[in-house]
Amino acid sequence: MNFLDRIFVEPIEQFCEKIIRFMPNMLTSVAMLLIGVVAGSVLRWLFLRVFSAVNIDKYCERFGMMEILRKGGVQEPVSVILSRIIKWITIFIFIVIALQSLNFPSVIMLMDRFFLYLPNVFISALLLFAGYILANFGGRAVLIAAVNSGIRSAGLMSRLVRIFILLLSLSMALEQLDIGKGTIVFAFSILLGGAVLALAIAFGLGGRDIARKYLEKKILKNDEKDDIEHL
Amino acid sequence: MKKIDKGDGIADRKELRDSLRAMKRADILVGIPSYNNARTIGHVVKAVQAGLAKYFPHMRAVLVNSDGGSTDGTPEVVQKASIEDFQSILVRHRAIPVFKIATPYSGMPGKGSAFRTIFEIAGLLKVKACAVVDSDLRSITPEWIELLIKPLIDDSYDYVAPLYHRHKYDGTITNSIVYPLTRALYGKRIRQPIGGDFGFSGRLAEFYLSKDVWETDVARFGIDVWMTTTAVANDFKVCQAFLGAKIHDPKDPGADLSAMLYEVTGAAFDLMETYADVWNKISGSEEVPSYGFQYAVGLEPVSVNLERMVDKFRLGVEELGPMWKEVLSPDIIDFLYEAKKVSVDKFHIPSEAWAEIVYSFAVGVHRKVMNKQHLLKSLTPLYMGRTASFVIETADSDSSEVELRIEELCRIFEHKKNLLTAEWVQQGGHHEFS
Repeated sequence: MNFLDRIFVEPIEQFCEKIIRFMPNMLTSVAMLLIGVVAGSVLRWLFLRVFSAVNIDKYCERFGMMEILRKGGVQEPVSVILSRIIKWITIFIFIVIALQSLNFPSVIMLMDRFFLYLPNVFISALLLFAGYILANFGGRAVLIAAVNSGIRSAGLMSRLVRIFILLLSLSMALEQLDIGKGTIVFAFSILLGGAVLALAIAFGLGGRDIARKYLEKKILKNDEKDDIEHL
Repeated sequence: MKKIDKGDGIADRKELRDSLRAMKRADILVGIPSYNNARTIGHVVKAVQAGLAKYFPHMRAVLVNSDGGSTDGTPEVVQKASIEDFQSILVRHRAIPVFKIATPYSGMPGKGSAFRTIFEIAGLLKVKACAVVDSDLRSITPEWIELLIKPLIDDSYDYVAPLYHRHKYDGTITNSIVYPLTRALYGKRIRQPIGGDFGFSGRLAEFYLSKDVWETDVARFGIDVWMTTTAVANDFKVCQAFLGAKIHDPKDPGADLSAMLYEVTGAAFDLMETYADVWNKISGSEEVPSYGFQYAVGLEPVSVNLERMVDKFRLGVEELGPMWKEVLSPDIIDFLYEAKKVSVDKFHIPSEAWAEIVYSFAVGVHRKVMNKQHLLKSLTPLYMGRTASFVIETADSDSSEVELRIEELCRIFEHKKNLLTAEWVQQGGHHEFS
């Protein structure tokens, strides 16, 4: 009997005891999860109405935000996107609370580390987003200016500016995330320096005649321009 | 001739304010905005002085040079310029001297800011009639002052727009965009809405000054279209005066056409927002009374590089075509890609397509489909294409035939206006003006 108790009953009792002790935490955790989902949905609904009331979509359209999103394949209005983000942030916060209420030391430790790292992720995301906006804006500004100046390689110039800004923001974001800190800056410097050197050599040697002709045309042959008064 | 030294900014320029206070009031003010025009401004000042002496000898007159910080001695030329021998131009010395003010303007650099200073001085002196003339004019005569001022004093007009004879290829932004657009929108046939030389009443100067536009494109090249549109849309009494030929110093070759186009069209499209309730109700157009004896004048030839213009159009279609898809209808986009393939001698952008392009850009700005500056600067290659097409069409035409062409373009703008009105109120989507 004693043997059976020790082999079967005691472990089962201990297990049941553990489960009973764990149950409140688990129930709290599940409850938190459910509350999170409900709170997220409610906040989404609430913020959608607030954003519509303050005409956030109109302002985003005015400041070119919608255009950027459309270019990135996003068709939904900013109000919907923002309210959805708020919903998922709320759910995420409640997931974290739910996990912490489970009281697993390893989970708590992981969560602590994750939370310390979170600001870096947020700043990196912001850097990437700002870089994307700036790259599109700068690329288009260069394209229009180059076309209006009659530069044949306007498209190439625009793409280069766009890529340069994107790479710059990517390297800054990765540095913020502590990923290959020195390596990325180093690689970026080499890449940029190399590109500039390559262009200098290409123009200096290969395009010497073209450069001379271009300057001659610009400086000496102004008579080719028409003298229409536009205003 | 009494002289008042220049100061540092109208609000803080005690000396200028004191002098204006001492002057108390004036009947007529003639403003000359300038920036590095030492070469031509002397002639303009003399013509203005002669005009005031000849046609308004008994009225208190003031000449204001509003300068943008010239480095070539423009204000000094203004101060020194005077007619030594009035007898030779069959004019007696004036009973009342002409006051001369040369003052730098404050605010954003540009013609509009210079005009603001002129309006402020006009307000302080409570003048009855004002005129502004460009400082780079070579063809100005004393009669210009009479023609720009008399209708204001004798017939109580509020705004006198200029009417010139210009070379058929001069003033292409006026001929292809601003004139047809303002005429179709506001229903008044003001042939030179951005001519640069205007007459306006003291009442209208005060009205201009009351508007908060001095930090916008109005402070730069947008001032001319703004003045004309504001006068017309607010029901001020408007007429035009035939001034003869407009010949002026060649513009700075480095001046950026796309910036100029952006400022003018930007100001015109912004005014469409301001006065949407006014132009929505107007259909067709009517003549405005004209003053002055019209005569034919010889004009200097204008050289045109067609190949370069069409090249810029082609490059624009190639690179900016995808961007224009957000503004122009698919039919117009297809047409532009087809036009790109055509040789220079067969190159043609019809008036219907051009009217649709201009209206589509106006709607694009209204709907804020993208950054305004980007959108309007991207119009430059299309404008170059239309100008090239116009040059080809009118290669063998005389000035009256060219006027008929412009008249036809205006009628197309008027005809398509109801579709613009419909698109204006509609939200999003592509527009179709055909």
